[in-house]
Order: sequence, then structure tokens, then C-alpha cells
Amino acid sequence: MLDVTKGAKSGAATRSRSRTRLISLCVNGEWHEVAVKPRNMLVEVIRDTIGLTGTKASCESGTCGACTVLLEGRPVLGCITLAVECDGKQLRTVEGLADGEKLSAIQEAFLDQGAVQCGFCTPGMLMSATALLERNPKPTRADINKALEGNLCRCTGYNSIVDAVLQASGQGDVKPVMK
Amino acid sequence: MILFDFDYEQADTLEDAVALLARLQGEARALAGGTDLLPSMRMENIRPAMLVSLGRIEPGEPAVLADGSIRIDALSRLASLENSSFLRNKVPMLAQSAHVVGGNQIRQMGTLGGNLCQEIRCLYLDQKHDYQFVAPCYKRGGECCYPFPRNGRDTCWSVYMSDIAPALIALDAQVEILGESGSRRIRVEELYTGNGLAPLKLGHAELLRAVFIPPAPRGSGWGFHKSTVRGGLEFGMAVIALALQLAEDGKTCADARIVVGAVREGPVRATAAERSLKGAVLDEARLAQAAAEASKEINPLPHHGFTKRHLMDNIRVYVRRTLAQALERARNPGADIETAA
Repeated sequence: MLDVTKGAKSGAATRSRSRTRLISLCVNGEWHEVAVKPRNMLVEVIRDTIGLTGTKASCESGTCGACTVLLEGRPVLGCITLAVECDGKQLRTVEGLADGEKLSAIQEAFLDQGAVQCGFCTPGMLMSATALLERNPKPTRADINKALEGNLCRCTGYNSIVDAVLQASGQGDVKPVMK
Repeated sequence: MILFDFDYEQADTLEDAVALLARLQGEARALAGGTDLLPSMRMENIRPAMLVSLGRIEPGEPAVLADGSIRIDALSRLASLENSSFLRNKVPMLAQSAHVVGGNQIRQMGTLGGNLCQEIRCLYLDQKHDYQFVAPCYKRGGECCYPFPRNGRDTCWSVYMSDIAPALIALDAQVEILGESGSRRIRVEELYTGNGLAPLKLGHAELLRAVFIPPAPRGSGWGFHKSTVRGGLEFGMAVIALALQLAEDGKTCADARIVVGAVREGPVRATAAERSLKGAVLDEARLAQAAAEASKEINPLPHHGFTKRHLMDNIRVYVRRTLAQALERARNPGADIETAA
């Protein structure tokens, strides 16, 4: 049976032990010292404490992929990762993709292909695609589908997103559709 | 956001983690990948007072032991299983079953042990309950069962969704369980009680340490299929994993293990269908008959909107197709056979 009541029973003990702790996160090459409670999720800390609101929190239960960030180069879901688990680790968010005013190849390709409509899934899509292209610079359509399987988009129908990743990897004859 | 406070400790070794869990006496949970535990805590289906993080413990590489069996660390990430060329070569069914779990991010976070120890799922249970003004179900300590209103108090009809457990059972794998009094080894199928209220035979201070897969005998073939609606990022409608072993003549079946997951409170074996295959000369008609038997004996629970009839049809069709695949693989070892779409 699930222990729904147990947390409440030991509430007093928990309050003293679930203290706030100081962790350091390296987000896009810059170290941040932040105070977090164990219950704070990574995406909350990135958005609310550090203030990088590019990463989106959407379903907050690990089913949509909008909160994807790169933790030590691996795409993970910020909404079901505890911030304390990431103490001392390297993170990359969508803000880290562009070099100043110059967008990265994958960002340019998303613009060219019209792979952004409402834009809520885009930060997660970009991070998943970046992780894919770093591991596999020439992915096939099947590879891209599998790598972006954890990111839901309700606008584009995915084809333009897959085309954008193909364009960014410099493959085939994917013509930009947006001028 | 998790709406209640809890304590958090990092364990340096699995033994430390077990000692911590034992001290907290069921008030603590072990945190590995967190892809199942943390959403459950968000929904407040579980409210542990403490999480013991295993995140600092580095999983060992998969290795071949002296007796030829393969040891895989339970903390191995699912992505490392599906991408490992060693495992894809030695136990392709395991790599394939890890490949179909969730989405890419879930596989990058989730671990093998966590996948085996995941909580059962039910359309009623897996939601936030704080805005509901109805009594909780049996699983949450209440008085009724919403999906199956005539259910008895001691039964919770919910579905265990692991994709990897059926594959491990078909491979006759064992798990090493670390507890306070040392470690023990049991077969993977003995890990499951078949009762939704407590689906795992694991104490509160017990952790999976490793999975052992015996070497595949000569003339063996495997088949694996996960049925889904979308084809990605979802739990299975039915997961079929099976292993066939042909006798020396290359025609008669020496052994068969048919496992169906995601349709009951634990993975189930189609023992009658297995018996009917053993000793028989395998041809298409024989496989179809075994598949029909398997579909009848499994008795799937209607879950997540799929009717019992639909699931039985699904099992019949895909057991037949995966059996045909397994036979093909057993006859032509080394051939690259497409997995069923």
C-alpha cells in the first residue's frame, strides 16, 4: 500500500532536516551558487532562482520534454530532476546555444524551416537536437525521430522540426522554407 | 513542484544507502534516475520523509563472468544499455527492450534497477488527488477501486509497465538484491508478487545491485515487441518478450519462454503455450496455435482505455509474429532480422 500519510506523521522531524542547502551549478559556463531545498526541481532553480527563463516548464511530470536541458552533455528533464542532485555539475540551457548575436546552426535551421510556431516546445527540441548532433553529426531521419521522441510539439506536426535537424547537419536537399 | 518537504542524503556506496534506508524504517526511498519516483511524489501518491540518492555511485561496466553469464550493474542508465555495442551483440533483446522505454531523456535518466522496481500504474491512481473530493482507492489506503468497482479489498487491479522485466524473464535472468544482512540472488520473475498493493517482493531496505543474464544456449532465438499507440514516449499496451531454443535437428523446439508484460500486476508467463511448443516441430500453424493459447491463458486486465478483447487480440497477433521472428533467429544465427514494427 502507498504510504500517503507517512510524510505527515513525521512532519516535525522532516522540517528540521529538509534544510536549505547551498549548491553550485555551472550553467552555460558560468558558476552560480544557489540556495535550494531538496524538493526544488532543476527547472524551477534555472527559471526562478538563476533567472534563465528560456527553459520552459510545461507538463511538470516528465511527459513533454519542454524542460530538456543538457546535464553533463546528456539531455535530461529539468522537471523531474532534483536541483540538489546536480550540485557541482555542468548544465547547458537554450540560452547557451547562441554565441552572442550569432545563432547556432540548429537555431538558424529552425528559423529557416518554420519549425517554431507557438514556440513552447522549441527550447527542449533545440537541446535534444543539439545533444543528438554532438553525438551523431550525420543522423538519419530515423535517428532524429528517435532522439526527439521525448519532445512533444502540438503545432508543427514534427516534419519541419526533423527537416531543420537535417538542414543543421548539412544533409540532403532540405531547402529553407522561410525567407 | 513537489509540495511537501523531505530530507535528502547522498550515499557513497550501496551498503551505506541500505543502512540509511534501514534506519529510516520505510520512511525513506532510494532515488536513482527519479523518472518514476519523482512524478509519484509530485502526485503525492508517496510521501517519503527522506530520499537517499544513489546519484554519486558510479555503475560498473557490463562484464562477462567466469561462468559465461553477463553481469549488468543495476545503476546502469537505460541509454547506456541500448547504446552499448557489447550488450547489443551479446544480449540484443535487452538492448532492444531498453531502446523502447519512454523517450530519449527518460532513457538518459532512468536506470535498469529503477525500471524493474517501478510502481504499478492505473488511470485513476496516476493523477493529482488533492482536488478530488472522493474517497481514496485501496492502493491509497481507502475503501474502493474506481476502475474495477466490484474489486475486493485485497486486490488492486493495476498494471506493471516495465518493458525490460519481460525481456529479462525470457532470458532467465537473475537479480542480486542487497539487504542489511547481505545479498541474495533470485530469478527476476520471483521479484513480482502479482498483487498491485505491493507489486515487488522487496523490503524497504533492499536495493537491486546487479542483473545476471545466463549465456544463450546454442540454437536459441529471441523475439520482442512493444505495442503502443503513438510509437514513442508512452507506456506499453502489451509487451511481448520470448525466447525459443531449437534442438539439435534444427526443427523441434527444446525450450520456449513466453512472457507478456504491461497487462497484469506483474509480468506473466504463458506456461501452457510454452508447454505446447516444447517437443513440437515448429511451423507456422504450430506458432499460431501457441499464440492463441497464450492469448487465452494470460487474461489481460483492461487498462488505460484498452478493452480486454483488444488486448487479447493484440497478444495473439504479436505473440505469433514474435515467435516467427524468434524461430527465424534461432535458425539463422548471426542474420540481421528486423524487429516487428
